[in-house]
Amino acid sequence: MAVPIEEAIAALSTFSLEDDQPEVQGPGFWVSAEGGATISPIEYSDVAAYRLSLSEDTKAINQLNTLIQEGKEMGSVLYTYRSCVKALPQLPDSMKQSQADLYLETYQVLDLEMSRLREIQRWQASAASKLAADMQRFSRPERRINGPTVTHLWSMLKLLDVLIQLDHLKNAKASIPNDFSWYKRTFTQVSVQWQDTDSMREELDDLQIFLSTRWAILLNLHVEMFRVNNVEDILQVLIVFIVESLELNFALIFPERHTLLRVLPVLVVLAASSEKDSESLYKRVKINRLINIFKNDPVVPAFPDLHLSPAAILKELSTYFPKFSAQTRLLTLPAPHELPLREAQDYQRQYLIVNHIGAIRAEHDDFTVRFASAMSQLVLLKSIDGVDVEWVKEVKGNTYDMVVEGFQLLSRWTARVWEQCAWKFSRPCKDPVPMESHDMPASFSDYEKVVRYNYNAEERKALVELVSYIKSIGSMMQKVDTSVTDALWETIHAEVQDFVQNTLATMLRTTFRKKKDLSRILSDMRTLSADWMANTSKPETEMQSYPHSGEESRGTLFYPRPVAPTSAQVHCLQFLIYEVVSGGNMRKPGGIFGNSGSEIPINDLKQLETFFYKLGFFLHVLDYTATLGTLTDLGFLWFREFYLESSRVIQFPIECSLPWMLVDHVIESPIIGLLESALMSFDIYNDAAQQALVILKQRFLYDEIEAEVDNCFDIFVLKLCETIFTYYKSWAASELLDPSFLFAIDIGEKFAVQPMRFVALLKTTRVKLLGRTINLRSLIADRMNKMFRDNLEFLFDRFESQDLCAIVELEMLLDILQLTHELLSKDLTIDSFNLMLNEMQENVSLVSYSSRLASQIWTEMQNDFLPNFILCNTTQRFVRSARVPPVPVQKPSVPYAKPNFYCGTPDLNSAYQSFARLYCGFFGVPHMFSLVKLLGSRSLPWLIRALLDNISNKITTVEPMITGLQEALLKSIGLLPFDGGISGCMRLAKEHLSCWHSKSELKAEVLCGIKEIGSILYWMGLLDIVLREVDTRQFMQTAPWLGLIPGADGQILHSQEGGDSPMVTLFKSATTATMSNPNCTNPTSFHTISRQAEAADLLYKANINTGSVLEYALAFTSAALDKYCSKWSAAPKTGFIDITTSKDFYRIFSGLQIEYLEESVQLQSNTYEMLGDSVAWGGCTIIYLLGQQLHFELFDFSHQVLNVAEVESVAISPTQKNPNFLQGIEVLLEAMKKARRLNNHVFSMLKARCPLEDKQACAIKQSGAPLHRIKFENTVSAFETLPQKGA
Amino acid sequence: MARAGGITNAVNVGIAVQADWENREFISHISLNVRKLFDFLVQFEATTKSKLATLNEKLDTLERRLELLEVQVSTATANPALFNV
Repeated sequence: MAVPIEEAIAALSTFSLEDDQPEVQGPGFWVSAEGGATISPIEYSDVAAYRLSLSEDTKAINQLNTLIQEGKEMGSVLYTYRSCVKALPQLPDSMKQSQADLYLETYQVLDLEMSRLREIQRWQASAASKLAADMQRFSRPERRINGPTVTHLWSMLKLLDVLIQLDHLKNAKASIPNDFSWYKRTFTQVSVQWQDTDSMREELDDLQIFLSTRWAILLNLHVEMFRVNNVEDILQVLIVFIVESLELNFALIFPERHTLLRVLPVLVVLAASSEKDSESLYKRVKINRLINIFKNDPVVPAFPDLHLSPAAILKELSTYFPKFSAQTRLLTLPAPHELPLREAQDYQRQYLIVNHIGAIRAEHDDFTVRFASAMSQLVLLKSIDGVDVEWVKEVKGNTYDMVVEGFQLLSRWTARVWEQCAWKFSRPCKDPVPMESHDMPASFSDYEKVVRYNYNAEERKALVELVSYIKSIGSMMQKVDTSVTDALWETIHAEVQDFVQNTLATMLRTTFRKKKDLSRILSDMRTLSADWMANTSKPETEMQSYPHSGEESRGTLFYPRPVAPTSAQVHCLQFLIYEVVSGGNMRKPGGIFGNSGSEIPINDLKQLETFFYKLGFFLHVLDYTATLGTLTDLGFLWFREFYLESSRVIQFPIECSLPWMLVDHVIESPIIGLLESALMSFDIYNDAAQQALVILKQRFLYDEIEAEVDNCFDIFVLKLCETIFTYYKSWAASELLDPSFLFAIDIGEKFAVQPMRFVALLKTTRVKLLGRTINLRSLIADRMNKMFRDNLEFLFDRFESQDLCAIVELEMLLDILQLTHELLSKDLTIDSFNLMLNEMQENVSLVSYSSRLASQIWTEMQNDFLPNFILCNTTQRFVRSARVPPVPVQKPSVPYAKPNFYCGTPDLNSAYQSFARLYCGFFGVPHMFSLVKLLGSRSLPWLIRALLDNISNKITTVEPMITGLQEALLKSIGLLPFDGGISGCMRLAKEHLSCWHSKSELKAEVLCGIKEIGSILYWMGLLDIVLREVDTRQFMQTAPWLGLIPGADGQILHSQEGGDSPMVTLFKSATTATMSNPNCTNPTSFHTISRQAEAADLLYKANINTGSVLEYALAFTSAALDKYCSKWSAAPKTGFIDITTSKDFYRIFSGLQIEYLEESVQLQSNTYEMLGDSVAWGGCTIIYLLGQQLHFELFDFSHQVLNVAEVESVAISPTQKNPNFLQGIEVLLEAMKKARRLNNHVFSMLKARCPLEDKQACAIKQSGAPLHRIKFENTVSAFETLPQKGA
Repeated sequence: MARAGGITNAVNVGIAVQADWENREFISHISLNVRKLFDFLVQFEATTKSKLATLNEKLDTLERRLELLEVQVSTATANPALFNV
């Protein structure tokens, strides 16, 4: 009947359920199918079936359990009670007449709250009387009923614990008496009109006494208990039970241990206050054992933010119990705040996790490995048929052992967290030192002292680590829940059967043979739990495989059945063992098992004891998921109801919240391994929310947690993204630094990036948070997309606030960003970099060729670069002119950004800045490279076009001014005569040009115009050089694929005439080869590839022969000049060269040139620094393009002066002249020579790059006759006309 | 002194206990398998979710790319003159 189910379930495992999700979160408990073992779901009604006459006992247990349940709910009401007085409105003076109404309203509101307190008062009274009655009934010496069972003892202890906690809470909560007094006041006001209020008033007084008396519940319980004076025995039994359990500390999980620790001091006080002999207790339990226990745990957690101190309780209670106050040894125990310094330090060492984290880490690692190997053995076992029975037993036993060990580890660790919290709460930070010194608040709230400033960085780290250990082991164990269950059942079944069938049989045969009543109990134990048929239910063949020889030593063999004992069975077994050892006599002196006077031999006692405690732990193992849930629940770290009340605030800021402190620490700390624990810390919130809803049952707490989680998770994602971005950015930046350079410098390590692992977090697509599933990966991806865009935006903004020279820096930063993107894309899917770049450049449209960057560069050139930069021909650089610009350029201020928008870390930023600084003072070839790379082939033509248009505009603006100068020029200007010498020549030249004196502004503007034209042309020249290099590089890369070979004189030859290029051939042959293969499944794709290769071939070939930008620019300028040709280059009427009357452009430029040369020499005014070399470039280009180069070289004033000077320097020896004058002349001549050299250089470049068409001109034959319209060659090789040395 | 224990009808109880063990074996078997089934469902949901997340991520990328292409095409079709050249 069971086989089909099993098969069906097994078939499910054939589904592939793998997803590469990292384990970064704790266990989630969806449904708990168990929980029936520790708390019997049927209230032990099945106990009756075993006919042990335990019905009275069972009834009592159930009654106590109900009370415990109720009490816990009362406790959560009290714990989460928040003062409502603060929220009550006050009436303004103008509304005093309605005061009575307000009182009534207030009364009604408060009455609701007070009714809860009244309920608690009533409940505790009834609970105390029931507990007392129960104890009295079961401790009668005559013993008419069976009991109390061990379960019963536990229930008593738990109920006592609930009562103590309630009492403690009532004492601690200050808001309750507060609210009550307010309530009483309103009651007095309201009740004036009522009749018959006496009973209400009486009730009120009762409540007041209850609320204002410390330990009222305990005192009441004491009175109830000692109404009949016979509970001492059971109190002593309870104390002995607690002490032995605590000392053994084997079968307890931490909530039980804490319960015992809380109850013990109160029990001691109660037992000692008895009227009879209080000393009998110390006969059974030595006082030192008690003191040891109290000393071991000076603080015991009670509520998340409220602890108990046994010593303090003993002290406080001694004032209420005069008999107890004689116990000076117990009373001298120091309370936590009274501890002497040395002892406190010892405790500190014991409590702080940071002192144990090393050992815990080792335990964790060791356990994880062993657990995993046990699990894989189990899997292996299930996959093999017919294995050795012994091995099966061993593997399953091992699994059981691992589970027990896991529970014990978890219990110990979680207890550590609880206890550290309690310790921290008991010792607030005395001298808080805020980490952020800038916001130093005047005072700190108590909660800040106990939590926020009470954990230093090391302690936070240790806590994070421990939390993630607890959670990860929890989730590891929870994962295998269903696969280990039957192994656990089988092992437990085997243990029980082994005990009842073998151990008990041996005992019955030997030691108990003579003792009739004891052996009857033992045989009852066998009756109620033995599974005799287990060994016969299997086929005979298997049974025979057992070696018969070992039967004697191992007792009866049985086949383990995967069924666990019920809680009733365990309950009865524990009861019977207890009966055997105690003999049913509470007065029996000594402990339960540690008894010397017993009639049972020590060996058997030991066996019974071990089995007794094992039974206790079986229940926890059977409640697998429920136990795991309890042991990994860390929600208490969030709760702070007690401190909220004492601080009189509604809620603390999240900086004070321990879970957030942990998360924050993980992100902020540079410790790499911790990063993956960040989400584990969020599990604390999950636990807290679960507690708020299920245990405390308070909606408002859940709402507060939810609000905090929402906030925290947002901040977490934000901070995480920042960290990720910074990390990848600095990684990229340090990759791009030159490694050999880094190796050579001393501080190279500063620029290395410590590797971090974000992969796990980046993979996480489901984070479980308060029942929601959050896709962390997509959240991060979204943010990253935004961050990259923001960063691009910032870089462009920054560029816009600087001048054109910053383009190299921009390129550098963009390169880093691109590499960052590339590195991050390996782990995360984000938008492609080009897409983002285009988007931020506003360059998405297919038909727009400008971009944000291109237009910025153009604006920058127009407004700043062309007017304010000057050219240095020698260095090929433009530098900013020293002259103050007439109109200062308006620029936005440099935007601020965090270091991760530059290169990541501040160190890398400074490294890159020192690189960028090298390029910030000039504009030259490197800038042009950056510009070409950034603009690309898409926007560059747009920019070129804009610049060319600018040239033609400039020519148009300059034209009327030149006309003005032309008009002012003398009618006739002859050649400079040689006989006047240099000075004469200069004088004459000045006279010629004196007509321009009144037009100095016009001159300056014309010069500026020419300079700008020259600058643009030179800029084009630079661009041309750079483009050539880029093209060449591309050619080198593509040529082998396209089958191109550079020929002898710049020609490009095809390697195979008419045939396909190597790339096409390659793909074609690959296609044919694949096609011929019959196994080829998809031949069409190969066809496509081959066709695409052909297309690529065409595209790349078309790109090979790109024109020259400079040549194009010159042609464009030439065309632009055509319009003014008639004005600037008048054809001579005579047909001969017009010497004296010419007003052609060359003459104007010649005049302008000699004047500014002279000015620059005489005034030392650095006119040169204003104009630079681009004037020569502009002027000479126009002259050249107008075809006036030869004219210019013939008639240029400075040329003529230099010619004269050459003659003169031969004729006159320098000594004859006035040295001062001579020096002036020398400098001027030097400047002229320089200008001539420059002009020649420009002309030769122009001739090379823009050979003019053959011109027609006049020539004069040697005979003197003019020869019209002859053609002469205008093309000269550039190399022949390079500037001559010394010319 | 009243001793505890003393199952009144030990043989009957023994037989009942034996029957109980056998019945419970069946119950345990069923309950374990139901839990396994449930476990499977939970895991199936989780895996499916993360597979869907991966798919969603890819769709997101495609969608954004498509959006870009659409914008580009629309800019191009808004200027038909470009295609007449």
